[in-house]
Formats: sequence, structure tokens, C-alpha cells
Amino acid sequence: MQTTVVDALEPPTRVGGAPKPRSPLRRHLNLTVELAITQFKLKYTGSVLGYLWSLFKPLMLFGIMYAVFVYLFKVGGTSTTNFGMQLLLGIVVWTFFAESTGTATGSIASNGHLIRKAFFPRIILVIASSMTALMTFFINLLLIVAVAAPFGRLDLGARSLVAPLVLIELYALALGVSLLLASLFVFYRDLGHLWEIFMQVLFYGSAVVFPFSLLHNHVLITLVAINPLAQIIEDLRHALITPDVPWASTLAGSLYFVPLLIVATTLIVGYRVFGRLTPRFAESL
Amino acid sequence: MTTAIRVDGIHKSFRIPLDRAATLKYRFTHPRSSARYRDFAALHDIGFNVEAGEFVGIIGHNGSGKSTLLKILSGIYQPDRGTVEVNGLVSPFLELGVGFNPELTARENVFLNGAILGLTRRDLQKRIDEIIAFAELEEFAQQKLKNFSSGMQVRLAFSVAIQADAGILLMDEVLAVGDARFQEKCFDVFARYKREGRTIVLVTHDLGSVNLYCDRVLLLDHGRLVADGLAADVVARYKRMVGALSDAEVGEGESNRWGSREIEITTVRLLDANGATHHTFMTGTTLIVELEYVVHDDIARDFACVLTVQRSDGLVLAEADSNGAGGLSIQCPAPGVPGKVRFTLDRLQLLEASYLVSVGLRDRHRARVYDHIEHVASFRVLDSAGRGGLVALEGVWSRGAPSTEEASTMASTS
Repeated sequence: MQTTVVDALEPPTRVGGAPKPRSPLRRHLNLTVELAITQFKLKYTGSVLGYLWSLFKPLMLFGIMYAVFVYLFKVGGTSTTNFGMQLLLGIVVWTFFAESTGTATGSIASNGHLIRKAFFPRIILVIASSMTALMTFFINLLLIVAVAAPFGRLDLGARSLVAPLVLIELYALALGVSLLLASLFVFYRDLGHLWEIFMQVLFYGSAVVFPFSLLHNHVLITLVAINPLAQIIEDLRHALITPDVPWASTLAGSLYFVPLLIVATTLIVGYRVFGRLTPRFAESL
Repeated sequence: MTTAIRVDGIHKSFRIPLDRAATLKYRFTHPRSSARYRDFAALHDIGFNVEAGEFVGIIGHNGSGKSTLLKILSGIYQPDRGTVEVNGLVSPFLELGVGFNPELTARENVFLNGAILGLTRRDLQKRIDEIIAFAELEEFAQQKLKNFSSGMQVRLAFSVAIQADAGILLMDEVLAVGDARFQEKCFDVFARYKREGRTIVLVTHDLGSVNLYCDRVLLLDHGRLVADGLAADVVARYKRMVGALSDAEVGEGESNRWGSREIEITTVRLLDANGATHHTFMTGTTLIVELEYVVHDDIARDFACVLTVQRSDGLVLAEADSNGAGGLSIQCPAPGVPGKVRFTLDRLQLLEASYLVSVGLRDRHRARVYDHIEHVASFRVLDSAGRGGLVALEGVWSRGAPSTEEASTMASTS
């Protein structure tokens, strides 16, 4: 008889016997979630206040804008019911859009090592990046609701059921823009700066910090109302804060379908461009 | 056998821009600048098949296209022309520790790396303890990776990588990292993969390992496939190629094969009891060396086959001569008729190490060498009992009074 010596070098035996690979969809979904959680964690580790920073920044902007519009410009009128809440909601939505598109821009270019050495659908990197921003957005949104609801600052009703649909629209828009930016940024690094400048224009063109009633020119109102981001913010205000704010479609008149068309086009074009450029990523990074 | 990878007529070239300017301004101010690049042909008309369960090595000097080929197999690069067909799940990464983040702890990195590998959080939760234990990092599981030594990082990366469920594994220079002990670990795992019937394609510069573990080797030179065959042959050819380049080994290149070639060895195989080709054997199992030859000139004489077994460091362990005691005289068949000789070891007594086999065909008086190939095949032995030394001495332990009749009969019957 011989004694069996347990060899320290023996590779670990696999739990559950023979390899049983998961379905591709499951693997990819799992990788997306794992990447998103990791990015979320990395963003806030190392700083003392961690997540709180992502709340302070929009709050600060809120404070300044509130002071400017309420005390300096003395905004008023029926659509400014509960203006503070309107402002806060606008800023939180805006922050999500700015953050998700901003980080997604570099999501391919900054993961060169991963792309050159490992194979998986590249779109995962962009989706994970936008999901990270989505996590912050939802936490911010929940905090607002938790703080505002007890003070009667929310006015919910049947129309509030539209909110989830509008949030899906918001994510679709952010993802479409992200796909476009992420793939083009690999080849044209100027795009990052260009987008930042464009965002400054968009900030004021999306009625984030002021009510539509401040715009007196009818053409200007229509122009802003067909901007999908303005439509999203305005509809969320109508759905969650006060019916005094009209649906964006009533402001846009006969062009009511344009925002949705822009979102759909952005998503499709973004997806197509991304798919077209994907094979060239590994060689260009 | 089914084909795991089928590669046909692959071409791949890279555009190397002569002046790198990835800005929009440049695009606008130099609208026709796209002409300013030169093409570098990385791969040219590559075609080969890999059967399921094969362990294939790819060798060649730096810049010969090895890694590009591997990237095309994995899907990271698209070939310009040609087709790649893969049957089965391919491991998604080529190197160890892809996607490791220094700011995350060892545990968190395992989950991230595992996810790239295609494992779910639940799969990994079941395996995390053994992964950390295998990497010998139990005390450091909650430490950030940036505080790890490179050796620790490699151990961790390797422990995760071997959890891959893929049937086809592509590896680029996995052996270039870690100490000798780590490389042993690598090969233990490779041996297990082989037992599980997985297909492995390995790119490496380590010719010794290629010789020992690969069933087959592809040699690339300037983007062309110049050799595809038995490890020993292709490695020898590569050494000649390198030798010719450096002027150091010119003339000595053929030294691994000599003889008059009146009889020529055509194939040498290492078989198990079922006649299947292997490169890894367990101590105590059957090992058969099968040699096929063809007679070119009518020498009409008996001849002998000589087999030498060496440890990988060159130590000669044994020599077996078919003309020796209990041997067999091999009648020479008519010219052009192939023949076959087998040398069977019912119970392999060698212990865990890597071994080289050399074969030679000589005339009965050992005066004339027809064909001799040094290091024609290699094999690795694994011993499940983990015994030390080189040989399993099949003695019997007994207790009691010495030299009684009873004791010796007991020993012989047990």
C-alpha cells in the first residue's frame, strides 16, 4: 500500500465536474453588470465623502441657479409652481446625461488593454459605463423623492405613470450619443473637447435651469421644445412635480414627434456607427 | 476527431500611418492625407486545421506574426482575407491578468477577471476560496492589487484563468512569467486540460516547453507558415533558421538527425493502451512507442531499432535495443513497403518529469546507422502519488523476521 501524498501543486478540482459554459447572453449581461459595479466602486473609493460628492455637485449648481432665477430674475407665472423642485429635477437629469455621455466617450479608448487582449462584445464597455452613471442617477432621484415627498413637494397622479417611459427615453438618448461618441473618439480625440463645448450650449437649450415661461419668443419655445432633453425634463416635471407645467408636446405643437424621432435616430445611428467601427478598435488603440 | 479550428487563406496587413495625427483639424486641413501610410503584411496566406484535443504550439521570431494570428483566432482582429472557423467556445483572453485593476482588492479582481472569462458572480462565489488558496494569497484577499508583488499578481491571474470553461484555449506567452515552480503549475494545469480533451494553442518563445508539451508546432517566418509538424522537427528547423541568421550554428543544424537513410523513419508516436496518441502519461499506465519506417534501398538484411530515453535535462535513463535480450529481429521488407515497430511498456515506471525519446535504426552489428533522430518525441509523466525521485521501484515492504521461506512467498504473491 502506498500513502497518497497531497500535492500542493495539484490544480483545484472544478466544482460541479465538467465545464458547463453559460449562455452567451448571460455571460455578457454578467460582465456588463460586473464592469458597471466596479466602475461605480472605483469612482468613490479613495475619497472620504465618496458617493456624497456626486450629490454635492448638483446641489451646488441647484443653489446657485435657484438664487439667480428666484432672487435676481424673479421668475414667476403659473408654470413656476414649486420652482425649486423643478430646478432640482432638471439638474439631476442633466447631471446624468452629462456624466454618462462624458465618461462613455472614453470608455473604448481608455480600455485599450482590454480590447487588445480579450474578446467580448465591445458594446459592453459603453453600456457598463452608462449604467454606472445610471446608478448615481437613481440614487440621487431616490434621495430627492425621499426628501421631497414628506413635505408635499411632489404632486403624483395618473400622469406620473408616464415617468418610467420618459426615463427609458432618457437612457436611450444617452446610450445612442454614448455609442456615437465612444466609437468616434477612438479615431478623433478632439471630439471630447467638442462635446464639452456643445454641452454648454445644450445646457441652456434644454430648459434645465429656467422655466419655459421665461422664453417669450414663440419660435424659441418651439426650438427648445423639440430638443429631446428639454422634452424629457419638461415631461418629468409635469409627471412628478406639477401639472401646471405643460407636456412638452403641447409646446412643440405640430412638431411634437420630433424629440422621439431624434432619440430613435440617435440610437440607431449610434449603434450602426459603433458596429461599423468595432473591427478597427483593436488595431487603433 | 472533430476539427476545432479551421483556418483558410488568412491575410492580414496593418496600415502604419507615416505621421500620426488623430485629430479632426488634421482631417479637415489634410483631406487627402489617407494616402500617407504604408502597408505592413503581418500574415500571408496562412492555412491549417487544429483537431479537437490537440496541443499546438506556434513559434517564430519576434514580429513573425504569432500574436497577430492568435488575435485573429480569438476574434480580436478581423482578417483582411480568408476564413476562420471555430467549433466551440474560445477562451476570451490571451494573457494573464487582463483587466486587472490595481485599485481593487484581490477578491474584487477575481470577480472582474472571472466575468471577462464568462463566469457569473455565483459561479465565482463558489470557487473564490479555492482560487485564492491556489494562488497562496489567503492573507491578502482583501488587499489592493497595487500592493502585490508581480509574482503575487501572476499567481492570482493564473488561478482565475484556469477556471475558464472554454473548450479552446488560446495563450500568448503565458509561460514567460513566473518562476520555475509557477511554470510547473502551468504545465500541471495544461496536462489536466489535455485529459479533459480541451484544445490548446500556445504562442511561446520557450522551445523546451514546446518540445515537451505540444503535439504539433507551427513555425511562422515573416508572416508565412513555413513549417507545420511534429514538435521536434519544427523546433529543430527553427533552431537552424535562427542559427543561420546568427551564423553561430551553421552546419550543426542537422545534428539531430543522421544516417544513410536506406531505411527512413517516417513517424514516431507515443500511444496509450488504447492506441491513442498522448504526450502525458500517468506512472503505472501503458506507454507504447510506435515507429513507422519505409525502406528505400533493398538492403535485404535484418536491422535493429534502438530507443533512448532521456530526462529533459539530458540525463540518459535507459536504452532499449530490439536486438538485445528478449529482442526481436526485424526483417527488412521490400523497398517502398512501409513497416511498423512497437516498443511496449506495460507499466511505466518513470515518475513525474519530462522525458525525451530518441530513436535509431541500425544494422544488427551496430556498424551502420540507417536513420537516427535525436529527441524525436517527448512526453511528460504525472504521478498521482506524488513520489519523489525518477523511478517507481516496484518493491514490496514487509515486516517480521528476515529471510524466512514464508516471507519471500508472501512477497512474490502479493
